[in-house]
Amino acid sequence: MTVSKETKKTDETILRIEHLVKRFGELEVLKDINLEVKRGEVVVIIGASGSGKSTLLRCVNFLEKAQKGKIYINEKRVKNSEKQLNKVRQELGMVFQHFNLFPHMTVIQNVMEGMVQVKKIPKDKARTYADQLLAQVGLEDKADVYPAMLSGGQKQRVAIARALAMEPKVMLFDEPTSALDPELVGEVLSVMTDLAKKGMTMLVVTHEMWFAKEVADRVIFMDEGIILEEAPPEVMFEAPKEERTLAFLKQVLPQ
Amino acid sequence: MNILPWDLSVIPQRFFLFTEAAGYTLQITFFGILFGLVIGLVAALGRLSKHNWISAICRAYIFLIRGTPLLVQLFIVYYGLTSVVTIAPIPSAIIALGVHNGAYIAEIFRGSIQSIDIGQMEAARSIGMPMGKAMQRIILPQAFKRAVPPLGNQLIIALKDSSLASTIAVPELMLKGRQMGSSSFMYMEMFIIVGIWYLIMTSLLSFVMHRIEQRLKVSDRE
Repeated sequence: MTVSKETKKTDETILRIEHLVKRFGELEVLKDINLEVKRGEVVVIIGASGSGKSTLLRCVNFLEKAQKGKIYINEKRVKNSEKQLNKVRQELGMVFQHFNLFPHMTVIQNVMEGMVQVKKIPKDKARTYADQLLAQVGLEDKADVYPAMLSGGQKQRVAIARALAMEPKVMLFDEPTSALDPELVGEVLSVMTDLAKKGMTMLVVTHEMWFAKEVADRVIFMDEGIILEEAPPEVMFEAPKEERTLAFLKQVLPQ
Repeated sequence: MNILPWDLSVIPQRFFLFTEAAGYTLQITFFGILFGLVIGLVAALGRLSKHNWISAICRAYIFLIRGTPLLVQLFIVYYGLTSVVTIAPIPSAIIALGVHNGAYIAEIFRGSIQSIDIGQMEAARSIGMPMGKAMQRIILPQAFKRAVPPLGNQLIIALKDSSLASTIAVPELMLKGRQMGSSSFMYMEMFIIVGIWYLIMTSLLSFVMHRIEQRLKVSDRE
C-alpha cells in the first residue's frame, strides 16, 4: 500500500519552536531545540526511547513546562499563562499513547465533551459534528458504547475524533500506536493517513517507520535531546548523513 | 427461658418503643455525614491545592481531628463553646459528627482523586479545559465512583459513633437504652434491643451502598 504524496504544504509557518530547553532536575532532556512546521506539513519525529521526542511534543502544548525557549503558533508567541494556554491547547489536538479516553462517558460524549464544555457549542450541533467525526474514523456504530467495550485501535480512533472535535490547527501524536496489539496498528495509521491527505498539519512521534516513509513530508531524528538530522523521508531512510541515524535505522528497519 | 437470668420476651414487646430514638440516630447520622461530605470534599481539594498555605490549613485540620477522640470534639462543641455560643444538643451532635467525619472523608476523597490516572487530567487539559472544569467534569466523577466503598464504610462507622451523642442528651438510641434500662432494671434486654436496632440500620446501609456501587458500574466492562 502506497500513499500518493501530493504535498498540501504551504509556506505559512504554523508552529515554530525556538531554543527550547527542558530539564527534569539535573537531566537535560531537550537541549536547544529549534523547529518549524508549515501548514499542511506532516513531520514525523523518530529516535530511540529517551531521546526526548515525547517530551518535545508535550512541551509544545505545555503539558510539560520548558525552562527556556519560545513557542509560536501562527507566529504568535504562546505565553505560559493558564488563560492563554486553554485557548492555545484547543488549536493543538493531542493524541496520547494510552488513549486517555474518559471512561465514564460514552464514545459520543467523549467526542462532544470539548465542544460543549469548552467551545460552548449547543448540544445538538455538537452531536451532529461528533457523528460526522465518528464516521470519519469509522466508528459511527459505536457512538453509545463506553470506552471499556472498545479495542485499543477503536479507542485510539475515538481519541483522534475527540481531538479533531476542537478543530485544531495542528495535531500532535505521541506514539499513537505503541500501546496497540500489532493487528490493530493498521486501522489507526490509516485514519492518520487520511487525515494527512486532507491537509492536516501533523507532528507525529512514532516507531512506525512505514508511516514515516510513506506519509511524512519531513522526518526528524532526535538523539540525546537534540535534533541530530532532518530530511525528507527518501533521504533520511536511503542516505542518512549522521552515523547515529544510520545506527538507529539499522536497528529498527529489518534489512 | 428461665435458665437465663434475663427476660428475653420483653425484647419483642419493647422493641418498637425505640422507634423514635432510632429516628434521632438516623437524623444526626444523615446530616452529620452530609456535612462531613461537604467538608471532606473541600478539605480534599484544599490538600491537593498548589497553594501551600491552603494545603497546610487542610492538613492541620485533618491532623487535629483524626488525632483526637470524637467524644472530645463533641464536648468541645457542646460544653466548650458555651462561653461563646450555646448550641442545642442535636445541632451540636451534627456539627461534631460532620467535622469529625469530614477529616476521614477528606482522606478518602484525596486518595480516590489521586488514584485517577494522570492521563485523564492531561487529556482534559489538552482539549482546552481549565483546571476547575477538568476536575469537575473528568476527575471527580471517576473519583467519586472509587470513593463509594470506603464512604460506605465511613457511613457505618458514623452511624455507630452517633451513639456518643447520648452523652450530650440527644434522645437517640443509646440514651433511650440507658433510660429504659435504669427504669426497668432490665439493662441486658434493653441494650440487646439497642444493638438489634443498630444492626438493622447498618445492614440496610450496607445494602444501599452495595446497590449504589452496582449501579455505578455501567461504564465498566462486566
